[in-house]
Amino acid sequence: MNKCTDSDVQEMLPDLLHRALAEGERLRVEEHLATCESCQEDLDVLRTVKSAAVFAPSIDVDRVVRQIPPYRTIVPAVERPARTRVVSWLVAASLAIVVLGGGSVLLQSNGSPASNSPRYQQLPNRIAKAPEATKPGSTEPVVVPMAVVQPSIAPHPHALALAADADGLSDGSLVQLMNDMDGFDALPGSELDPVISVDSGDSL
Amino acid sequence: MTPSPEGRPQETDMELINRWRAGDGRAATRLVGRHSQALARFAASAGEREGIEELVQDTFVRAFASLDSFRGASTLRTWLFTIERRLMLDRRRAERRSRETVPVEETDHVSEYGALDGLIAEEAQERVRKSLDALSPTQREVFTLRVQQGLSYKEIAEVVGSTEGAARVHYHNAIKTVKEFLKDE
Ligand SMILES: [Zn+2]
Repeated sequence: MNKCTDSDVQEMLPDLLHRALAEGERLRVEEHLATCESCQEDLDVLRTVKSAAVFAPSIDVDRVVRQIPPYRTIVPAVERPARTRVVSWLVAASLAIVVLGGGSVLLQSNGSPASNSPRYQQLPNRIAKAPEATKPGSTEPVVVPMAVVQPSIAPHPHALALAADADGLSDGSLVQLMNDMDGFDALPGSELDPVISVDSGDSL
Repeated sequence: MTPSPEGRPQETDMELINRWRAGDGRAATRLVGRHSQALARFAASAGEREGIEELVQDTFVRAFASLDSFRGASTLRTWLFTIERRLMLDRRRAERRSRETVPVEETDHVSEYGALDGLIAEEAQERVRKSLDALSPTQREVFTLRVQQGLSYKEIAEVVGSTEGAARVHYHNAIKTVKEFLKDE
């Protein structure tokens, strides 16, 4: 058998199998193959190897898709199932304080490590001012003026919890918010973390 | 958009990703359907025997969780292969560690894979598998990505964290070994 010296053609053989060659390249490879026994053998080997790839199990697409959370609720970190309900009530309670209390809220910080967690850093900017109240190591109570917690009401319950526009909440909408937060059990717990920090900063 | 075999315009991966970001869950189904089998084949070709479906699932969960970091510089499939390969390496490392700490009897790779194999395996497939077993892990990855998945050397280099030149060398050594093996059988 001949020893092939056309390394370009040798390298294009898998592309020929996958029909990934431009017309000109394909013609060149086929022309070469007509006279090169070594490349013919290579091509046979490649065909055999390619067709043997069917031994992979078939994948249940729906089952895979069911494991993929919707965009923006995905958090690659840990799950914290049992705590979310407690947390949502704490959120509700803190919001109620904000609503009823008027101009400012006293936040007690005790240096929660949660403010440093990777999950925390995924939060939207709208609550980015809150960490001032929870700097690790700080033992001073921090006063956060009402104006700090003042984004607009978001239509999505999820966004609503994070936005926490206490000014705009009537009694009816506060009830609505608390009902919405009950539904949070179905969401990954991590996005609620910063609210914990704002609320108490302790290690719930 | 590229035309599908039926002449219908087929959405690109990037278009499907954007639809998924906009809340269309069906776009995820299309993406998974489009790439899951290639991921399963890659895992099988790389020598994975068990839990291939879980591996593919983990790959997608991770990929979707970090889709914001996918800028489309490579193809989505290449990027998915990269993620899957890292998961396979993690898995092997974990398996090695558990073997070191808990002595277990040699498993005989029957299981789901063996059963499946028994149904569809033909002699040629068995021979190919044995020939791939004769390659080094990197040669095997490069060779199967090139031959079974049709990736370019540039894409392969990206997946295995190497250079195009090194991928070429691995490919040439691999085909030589496989050819010899299949000839001798
Ligand atoms: Zn040749």
